[in-house]
Amino acid sequence: MTKKALILDGGTGDGENTRRAGELASDILQRSGWEVANLALREMTIAPCLGCFGCWIKTPGECVIDDAGRDVAAQIVRSDLLVYLTPLTFGGYSSQLKKALDRMIPNILPFFRFVNREIHHVKRYARYPRLAAIGTCPDEKSDPDEEDLFEMLVHRNAINMHAPKYATCVVDASDDDDVRQRRIENLLGRVGV
Amino acid sequence: MDGKQQRILMLVGSPKGLEKSNSARLGRRVADELERLGWTSEAIHAHQVVKTEAGTTELLAAVDRADALLFVSPLYVDSLPAPAIRALEAIAEHRRDLPVGPMPRFAAILNCGFVEPSHNDTCQRILRRFAEQARFDWMAGISLGVSGQTPKRIRTALEILVEAINLELLLSDQVEALTRKPLMPRWLYMLGGNAMWRRVAKKNGVRNRLRDRPYAPTGR
Repeated sequence: MTKKALILDGGTGDGENTRRAGELASDILQRSGWEVANLALREMTIAPCLGCFGCWIKTPGECVIDDAGRDVAAQIVRSDLLVYLTPLTFGGYSSQLKKALDRMIPNILPFFRFVNREIHHVKRYARYPRLAAIGTCPDEKSDPDEEDLFEMLVHRNAINMHAPKYATCVVDASDDDDVRQRRIENLLGRVGV
Repeated sequence: MDGKQQRILMLVGSPKGLEKSNSARLGRRVADELERLGWTSEAIHAHQVVKTEAGTTELLAAVDRADALLFVSPLYVDSLPAPAIRALEAIAEHRRDLPVGPMPRFAAILNCGFVEPSHNDTCQRILRRFAEQARFDWMAGISLGVSGQTPKRIRTALEILVEAINLELLLSDQVEALTRKPLMPRWLYMLGGNAMWRRVAKKNGVRNRLRDRPYAPTGR
């Protein structure tokens, strides 16, 4: 069965580095036989999470807001690989990517469990996609501290959203296409593509 | 300080706003104390202002007027709620090209729904990067668990924060000691939390549907 990848593009639309990184990720996955869906989040109406927990205790598994945020949450569960694409924003995610991620909460249960002696939420589904995250740096060269922070954030997300594997990479504005391609191929290789 | 009345801007990152959120309640506690010390304060709800260009302009003007920015927010999926990030993006872009001058102070209070305040650590690092890039003078990041409950030791930590902001002091290590330890045993929080979710779901008539899998693909 063809494996499914979902790219969540958190770019603003005017960053060449982010746009090119997304194209390369899509090409590499398709050449490897994956079915790829690419969501340009900036073009989607996704309301902010209300923090109401309705998706846990009123309409379990589904957000109370009926908009594209629900579709993204459903597509995530049905994917084998989730790719985050984001301009590095203070070492973390852009607001465009985060507006979709905030609405992923229905995909986990409210109940708590221990992971490495720390409390986290229990799985709702039997399987979750692997996670590959591409941070694009608007500057010539990214700051190692920022790269480390991005890795840490994705690591924490992988625990909380039950990704069985995760990997990150940062693509600099100064990278030419060959370098970008190598970085993204390496990233996808680390999550089993 | 030259005797001019100082102004603190409280920027609230919770969707629940200035009246109903735990984040605003925590920030209000700090702002009220500063007012008693002669400061003025104003409060802005990030979700509200980032909806429009006029709102964003209002936010940036308030930042320009402030001597200190107090950012208060819940933790959402290891980071900030999206509209709060949008507000910080706008502030950083606005301040990037300002002429060199005195840097306003920046302090953050984060609260998460887990018992361990350490869940906020990654987000505190993100906020520190923001402060550097937006040219604020980073003062403190206080991390709280249990959705920002405020027993005595947390109230003491907030009092120390008030003093640090007022006198432009480095935050003492005592704050870390006061806030780092979970407010209750992990097992107790887990037991109580799990029971609470079941109880509320029962009240809503969905007790037996709590584990529904509406998006489960066939065969998984």
